[in-house]
Amino acid sequence: MSEKPVKGERRVFMTGNEVCAWAALAAEADIMYGYPITPQTDIMQYWTRLGPKFGRKFLQTEDEISAGFTTVGGVIAGKRAFSATTGPGNTLFQEPMSMAEMMRIPTVVIIPQRGGPSTATVIYSQQEVTMTTFGGNGEGFRIVYSTAGHQDLYDYTIKAFNTAWKYRFPTFVLGDGYQAKMREPLTIYDPAERGIKMVETEPLVGLPGTPGVDRPAQYLRNTYNTEEELYDVVMDIAKDYEKAAPEIIEWQDFDTDTEMDVLILAHGVVSRSAQGALPLLKDEGIRAGHFRPITLRPMPEEQMRRAAAKAKRILVVESAYGQFLKLVKQSLYGMDKPIDTLLRPGVGVTAEEIVDRIKEGR
Amino acid sequence: MGGCIKTVRVVEAFVGEYASGKSENAINRSLELLSQNQKVTLVDLDTVEPFYTLRPLKKALQEMGLNVIAWSPEQTMGLGEAGSLLNPEMIWALKNEGSIVLDIGYGVHGAKIFNLIEGADTDPNLQVYAVVSIARPMTATKEDIVRYIKDLGNVDGLINNTHLGSETTPDVIEEGAWVITEAARELGLPVMYTAVCQELADKFANTDKMGNPIKIIRRFMPQAFW
Repeated sequence: MSEKPVKGERRVFMTGNEVCAWAALAAEADIMYGYPITPQTDIMQYWTRLGPKFGRKFLQTEDEISAGFTTVGGVIAGKRAFSATTGPGNTLFQEPMSMAEMMRIPTVVIIPQRGGPSTATVIYSQQEVTMTTFGGNGEGFRIVYSTAGHQDLYDYTIKAFNTAWKYRFPTFVLGDGYQAKMREPLTIYDPAERGIKMVETEPLVGLPGTPGVDRPAQYLRNTYNTEEELYDVVMDIAKDYEKAAPEIIEWQDFDTDTEMDVLILAHGVVSRSAQGALPLLKDEGIRAGHFRPITLRPMPEEQMRRAAAKAKRILVVESAYGQFLKLVKQSLYGMDKPIDTLLRPGVGVTAEEIVDRIKEGR
Repeated sequence: MGGCIKTVRVVEAFVGEYASGKSENAINRSLELLSQNQKVTLVDLDTVEPFYTLRPLKKALQEMGLNVIAWSPEQTMGLGEAGSLLNPEMIWALKNEGSIVLDIGYGVHGAKIFNLIEGADTDPNLQVYAVVSIARPMTATKEDIVRYIKDLGNVDGLINNTHLGSETTPDVIEEGAWVITEAARELGLPVMYTAVCQELADKFANTDKMGNPIKIIRRFMPQAFW
């Protein structure tokens, strides 16, 4: 076996895309499939520079539809396979990811969001929330981690492989162009040395023995003949997902233990601006708290509601025109709380802008 | 000694991996030359992803007196994601009067851009410095650095820019100085200097423990909000 790419623990400084490549190496990913698109391409480039040294593989496909389907294929063959895409590439990925939802294929895809609609900008946004959480046709089930920086990118890329393979749902690491390109320190580590065991992978086809004789038949299907059959399958998947959701959800809260004048809801890198706004608001005599869902799907609804119950008002902040807001409204349905917004599609948000918005709204 | 002071035309290119600190060192070098009353042009040569890097700092640097050749938002209207893109001002950058500092983007491939710069192969003053940080896992060991520098092509010297952003300590910098100096010896190249951020300036004398000169740099890139 090849040497381990990451040994022990080390404090390092690099770009977020490079972090993702190192994390996938540390997570013992076997192969990456991909098609270039900024700001994702460096993940591929670092993977292709680093991977061969550790016996890992890469396939560049002709487009994102192929990248998605080959990732599905790699997983079916029993490989810990992953991809990365963004923007219009993410749009094309929804077809294969929908298949992964139907067939319960544990793919992992990293999405450093860029601006949209369409080709738009290569820089940054949080505008791929709706598509990444609910992008497939039908009603598929998937897991989405929204990261807020380099340590998250490392931790959750590793975790995504285990969540995907443990629960058998396609899993996404939702970053953004800022995280992809910015530089900051983080600790990289060998998961084994932190007691993180990578969930074993296995082929989903070509199993030994005779189906129906030595083992049950393995049905990998995305096509059903009757609506009754489909109903049973979708309901079974839904039931599995609902059961797993409480084990999967993750969140962070800041200063939400006491009564608040305002609760800031933000996810991903914008959460860091919300965290930065809290001490500034305190200086202004405003009691503010912040709740950050880490999983956008499944959403930690109960936890968000618990925090919201203690606040007079809610402020939803995102680098999009209401995609996260939609998830918040769904989660807080029935609560009598006024919701203010700071919606900046495709543009970053600073702590000061959040403070200004809150002062203006008083 | 009497006589007139002759201003030497400095032409320096900073190459290196993403996050090694090329832009910081290029900006600081430009400002250093400017403080010596030289006319200085700073060129942002990232052809692949020109909308990152120096773009957000361009105006502030120009106000400090530098001639900055970099894309600005109003120039990029309508270009979209244009793929490889070269501003004509960049092709002719070496024809500028005075000293010239080139910030060569895009990691290992960036150095190939010299093929596109008029006069790069004949300019007698051109010095290429590789900015290296051992806090980047890809250039963390002597062996990795040696291999990496050989891949880069023509390099005249190394710069120890080992750091962990705001978490940098003198030990981090000194460890970098040690590993990079070892690599430089194997490559037969000088270590031009060890970069130390202003916040740690008082922790260093004129040289690091390996005897390389210390250069105090101010950090600009944290202000780059694309």
